[in-house]
Amino acid sequence: MVAAIVLNQVTKRFHNEEPPAVQKVDLEIADGEFVVLVGPSGCGKSTTLNMIAGLEDITSGELRIDGERVNEWAPKDRNLAMVFQSYALYPHMTVRENIAFPLKLARVRRSIIETQVVDTARKLDLADLLDRKPATLSGGQRQRVAMARAIVRKPRAFLMDEPLSNLDAKLRVQMQILVSQVQKDQGVTTVYVTHDQTEAMRLGDRVVVLRGGVVQQIGAPQLLYEHPANVFVAGFIGSPAMNLLPARLEHAALRCVVGELPLSDQMRRTLEAAGAPRDVILGVRPEHFEDAALVKPGIKQQGVTFTARAMMVESLGPDKYAHLALDGEQASTAELERLAAETGTADVPGATHLVTRLSGASAATQGEKVHVWFDPDHVQVFDPADGRNLTPAPGAPHVTQVHRPGTGTPG
Amino acid sequence: MGAGWARKGWWAIADIVILGYALVPVLWIVSLSFKPLSSVNDGRFIPAEFTWSNYRQIFQIASFVSALRNSIGIALIATGLSVVIGTLAAYAIARLSFPGKKLLVGVTLLIAMFPPISLVTPLFDIERTIGLVDTWPGLILPYITFSLPLAIYTLSAFFREIPWELEKAAQMDGATPFQAFHSVILPLAAPGVFTTAILVFIFCWNDFLFAVSLTTTDASQTTTVAIAQFSGASEFTEPTGSISAAAVVLTIPIISFVLLFQRRIVTGLTTGAIKG
Repeated sequence: MVAAIVLNQVTKRFHNEEPPAVQKVDLEIADGEFVVLVGPSGCGKSTTLNMIAGLEDITSGELRIDGERVNEWAPKDRNLAMVFQSYALYPHMTVRENIAFPLKLARVRRSIIETQVVDTARKLDLADLLDRKPATLSGGQRQRVAMARAIVRKPRAFLMDEPLSNLDAKLRVQMQILVSQVQKDQGVTTVYVTHDQTEAMRLGDRVVVLRGGVVQQIGAPQLLYEHPANVFVAGFIGSPAMNLLPARLEHAALRCVVGELPLSDQMRRTLEAAGAPRDVILGVRPEHFEDAALVKPGIKQQGVTFTARAMMVESLGPDKYAHLALDGEQASTAELERLAAETGTADVPGATHLVTRLSGASAATQGEKVHVWFDPDHVQVFDPADGRNLTPAPGAPHVTQVHRPGTGTPG
Repeated sequence: MGAGWARKGWWAIADIVILGYALVPVLWIVSLSFKPLSSVNDGRFIPAEFTWSNYRQIFQIASFVSALRNSIGIALIATGLSVVIGTLAAYAIARLSFPGKKLLVGVTLLIAMFPPISLVTPLFDIERTIGLVDTWPGLILPYITFSLPLAIYTLSAFFREIPWELEKAAQMDGATPFQAFHSVILPLAAPGVFTTAILVFIFCWNDFLFAVSLTTTDASQTTTVAIAQFSGASEFTEPTGSISAAAVVLTIPIISFVLLFQRRIVTGLTTGAIKG
């Protein structure tokens, strides 16, 4: 099957800047797939989307839609519909005229336009608003009009540029469900841009993580979560973020501030094969910790336990997030510092404390010491020099490429 | 409450003073235009004796009637062309980046600052050589030249206000650049277009300098010039009454033009386009 949209080494350079805004992006989007581009602001995700749309020129590389090169095509010839962050409704037109606009431009017969507009409006619960002007609508309603305008003419693909970021949290979740439903319902290929990793995980069949114009990892949300390709993806995907700790490889064990982790033979071989240095960064998700008192003795044997003081305990009902103070050496490498600067320090624990998700039944209290267990099977090991994951997913079928940030493409 | 009323009162007084300052001379001309020759110098604000004779008189002067026709024709054509060219130029300046854009804006500004009086003589020479003196195009061309900077500046300010994403949205919806401009940008820029049209029309309508220098006969003489050439019944009578009547007639097209277009100048037309 020919992929719906293919980006082949697509690069965007504004005014000969160095490095380019978007660097050699390779991406194949299957027909009907929902792909989310995610990354911090300035990572090139919107620029990439605009290049697919035709609103930005492609500096180099090739964009193919249904196997045909479309680099030079005007936006109107690509048959793509776009929803903008600002909605971009035409203020001088009624809701009806807004939705009908793409059909009118396509010279669809008036009677057909009318039925299609009404159909679409009904689908998006806009039937009562057809004769209103955008200025009189609420944010959520405007958003739905923008959606209606995009889906009314059955485009080849939807492009959405942070369409929900102007809505309040509750409405955003409702709209995410709506977007997902509409997309599945119509089976239309969708490329969606967001800076919100939760939204990316929730919506995407596959997620593309971008940083500084370079693709960090492409994969299903679960893969990105469980096997981040590098420290950046590890810190960016998941909330609270993955804990990153400095560790040292010693014979058959990994020594870090929370204790000594025995390495399985397979793990050791993997690390050796990956050429792991002596000093590494250890990544552990908050949910891989548990209150040692609640772990069955048999399982407890397989893990590592340690004791730390709980700086803060957040009780969320079923779970308790315990922020543990760490003594001793802190994980501080050039890579981690850059990461902290890019994402905002608070998002990347590990430098000063450890975030653990314990069972709600845990007795952990603020200011008290807590005995914590964790499962070494789930740890990820990263190279502090370039941040790459030294323990990739078994087989790693979806990790199509891993770029070192700032150094362009690997050789 | 008391303070509020006092403040409103002061505002009302200020309004009346300003209105009086602006309108008394106009009303004075209106008053003069209705006075018979004998009482022009009586100094009364409300005419003791009321007459239409001044109006009857000026419309009997053939040159005034033809001048009125010239004025309306020339001003309308110059305004139309100036607004069309200005709209396209302003859109390009507001939206596109092209080599020489800064230079273009600079030169436009330069033209606006050039004192017209210094150009009248060379213009006359040029127009005499190519045979444009005393023709409609002979006035329309310099009017376009001197009103374009005004049009471009006003319009580009309006275009800059329009969110660019609307145009991108139109392109994504399948519009050609011209369709996007025509059905999305232009309707939103309409208040700017009408404002500009009013300003340019007033500029062309009121011009005296070019009109007096570049015209010689009824073929292209405009009203401002015709009025200046009014003569009294004899060489000892001043044509005060006729001039006043002509001045009143002269304001009617402007007032109707403004009233006609003012209704189209609705502010806040772009609200609701983006965000909230």
